[in-house]
Order: sequence, then C-alpha cells, then structure tokens
Amino acid sequence: MKSFELVEPATIDEAVALLEPDDPGVRAIAGATALVPMMKARLFQPTRLVSLRRLDGALRGVHEHEGGLRLGALATLTELERSSRVRAVAPVMSRALRTLSNVRIRNVATLGGHLAHGDPHMDLPPVLMTLGARVRAVSRRGERWIDLNDLVLGYYQTTMAADELIAEVHVPAQPTGARTWYEKFTALSADDWPTVGVAVWYRTDAAGSDTTRPTVMTEARVAVSAATERPVRVPAAESALTGAAPDDATFRKAADAAADAVEPLADLRGSAAYKREMIRVHVRRALERAR
Amino acid sequence: MSARHERAVAFTLNGRRVGATVATHETILEVLQREFGLFGARESCGQGLCGCCTLLVNGTAVSGCLYFAAFADGAELTTVEGLAKNGELHPIQRAFVEKSGFQCGFCTPGFILMTKELLSRHPQPTEDEIRHYLSGNLCRCAAYPDIIAAVKRAAELMRA
Repeated sequence: MKSFELVEPATIDEAVALLEPDDPGVRAIAGATALVPMMKARLFQPTRLVSLRRLDGALRGVHEHEGGLRLGALATLTELERSSRVRAVAPVMSRALRTLSNVRIRNVATLGGHLAHGDPHMDLPPVLMTLGARVRAVSRRGERWIDLNDLVLGYYQTTMAADELIAEVHVPAQPTGARTWYEKFTALSADDWPTVGVAVWYRTDAAGSDTTRPTVMTEARVAVSAATERPVRVPAAESALTGAAPDDATFRKAADAAADAVEPLADLRGSAAYKREMIRVHVRRALERAR
Repeated sequence: MSARHERAVAFTLNGRRVGATVATHETILEVLQREFGLFGARESCGQGLCGCCTLLVNGTAVSGCLYFAAFADGAELTTVEGLAKNGELHPIQRAFVEKSGFQCGFCTPGFILMTKELLSRHPQPTEDEIRHYLSGNLCRCAAYPDIIAAVKRAAELMRA
C-alpha cells in the first residue's frame, strides 16, 4: 500500500467538509475491510482518507422507528446481526448477515460502507431493495433520501457524489404477513462471495371469511444480485407473481421470467449461461422458502 | 513521507501501555511484528479470509491484516502472546494442547483468539455456534475435528 493523508473528524459537518466533490482519491472510510484489499491490490490509491471512526454518536445505533428501523451508517454488521429489533422487523436481514463474510469482518465492517461500496456481490443491497429501504445521504449541500433501488448504478458505481456520505438507512414497517427470503448461492467454497443472490418479498390478500376465493399475491418484489453488474429488481418476475396464487407453478413461471430478463456477467464463478440457469433455480427456491 | 502520513498512536497491548509512530497505510499486523516483535498474529491470505492474523481489539476479534494501525489508537489489544498468565497457559490454550487441536500450528493463534470471543459470548456453545464462529478460520492441515473438540474442552475448563 502507498501512504496517504488520514484525517479523523469529530463531527459530520467536518467530515463532509473534508470530502472533495471532484477528487476520486479522497474517500470516506469506516471499517476499511473492503477498501484495504483494493488498496493492497493498488486498484485504489487514495491521497486522503476521511475516517469516520471518531464521529460523535449521530451515525450509530439500531433504532425502532414507526414500526420499522432506523439504522446508523456506522452500525457494524455484527450489531445488526445480533439486534433483536432487526430480527423483529426484518428477520430476512438477520439471516442474510449470518452468512455474510465472517465474524471478524462483520465485527468491523459497517452498514454504510457495505452499501456505499457498490459491489454487486454484497448481500444486503438486494434484501434492502425488497424491504423498501431508503438511505439518507448528507453533504455540504444538505441531505437527500435515496431509494435503495436507485443507489447502485453499475459495477462499483453508486448514485452518491464523491463528497456525499450515507448517514442512515430506514427500513419501513413491514405489512403483516409479508413473506421474505434471501437465497445466497456460492459456487466455489461455502464462504465465497455469492455467485447469485436472490431476495424475494411478497404479500397476499387476507382471504377473510370468503374461503371460496383463492389466496393471491397482491404485491411481489424480486431482486437479483452478484450475477449481474449491479443488484437489480426484476419487474418481469414480479408481474408473473402479482395477482397469482403462491403455488409451485407460479413460482416456476416467475423464475423463468427472471432467468430471461436478467443479464448475467461471466467471471471466475461461472459463465453467463450457467448463471442464468442458477438464477432460474434460486429465484424458485427463494420463493418456495419464503412461502 | 510527510508528517501527515504518520501518526503517533498509544494503546494497551496485552495489558501494557505502549506507543508507536506508524505510517497511515500500515496495518496493525505489521506494527505488532516490527515494533513489538509479536509474531503470533501472522499474515497468510492478507484478505481477512483465513483468520491467521486474528487479534482482539477491545475484546472483539478482527483481522489484523485489514486493520489500520492508526485505528488502534486508544484501544485495548490482545494477541495470543497475552493469554498465558504467570507462566500458566490460558485454559483455551490448555484445551488445544490436550485435544491436539492443531498439526503445524500456523493457524492456531487465530483459532484460539476466535474461541476466546466465542466463549465470552457463548460460554456453553453448541456445535453449530462453534462452526459459525470458526467458519472464517482456515486450517490447511485440516485439524478441524480436533479443533472443535478443543473448543468444547475449553468451554469446560473455562467453566471449571
């Protein structure tokens, strides 16, 4: 690694003032677990890193908010994994965190860094996309809310400006009876980055007293990650589910629609054709396991 | 290198207050070896995957190869060298010896420190919890069954 200037501001205002809108060599850093390997490989050679570790409490903590969650960007993945609040609102997040990298990385890596990195292999972006989450980003120009579906634009590219910081993540209250699952498929070793990640979310109408009417899905969300250049929602699969019964035939139809719609990238974890078939398999499995 | 690229850090290392001047890009692993002659945490994969460089920062296991030395300022660090007290091995170390939870021993400090964090949170861990905690530590001799037996024995010794 090459040396760089390290600054450790105490407040968010100081931190955003130290970021530079036009200099990609200046980056915010929290746990550093994603950036250090890139720096060792000389894929990233910063001139200045703005460490967030001395910031006051503003970006920390796991809070309940209107039946949903407010998650500080500096919350570690371990804090989220162990949080009973997270488990109560979004058990799919708690489960996904258990197989995200390893204990040591989760002890240090933060939620904000996980999302701001823009790596398509990260586990939480597809999960948060299906949960309807938003991030609050701050900069010298003020703050703005970004829907998780709009956060990642491409391979390691996000909609965040170079001088913007993620402050927190909101997960809205989930409707009663919402069904969720995250299916992580690792083609190499069990602890590898995923070859395909699939998050699903759906809810059904309450059949009520009319037992002659079959239960149908009134709303469905499907997100695919890792196989693609960025995590993506799959409208074709979602419309195959909406208005249909949550049965095996419907799930197969949605899985086929996802396999047709998504554009996988070939890499050391498999060819594009292989990943397309894996998307078919794992969208179906995620829906079955959510049921 | 300019002064902006260096940092004076002070931390507690295995119970002793120490200080060092470090470069901003140095990892705590490099500083432990260069400044303090501690080689229990050692680099293997260099990517946080294998666990050979594990140390405890404020009681929490981290990968020393990914952890900037500058971030250790003010923290309490424990390496495997800090576990034995007055010439007596720590109960986790005794359990690893008793159950032969190693072959070549290269990965052993990392396994022992991960076990320390595990047992501080789960004094009576299930096999599932042991595997979950240790899934990020690799033993190329594949002593895994003996390591799991050692962790179970360590839990017994710690409770005794």
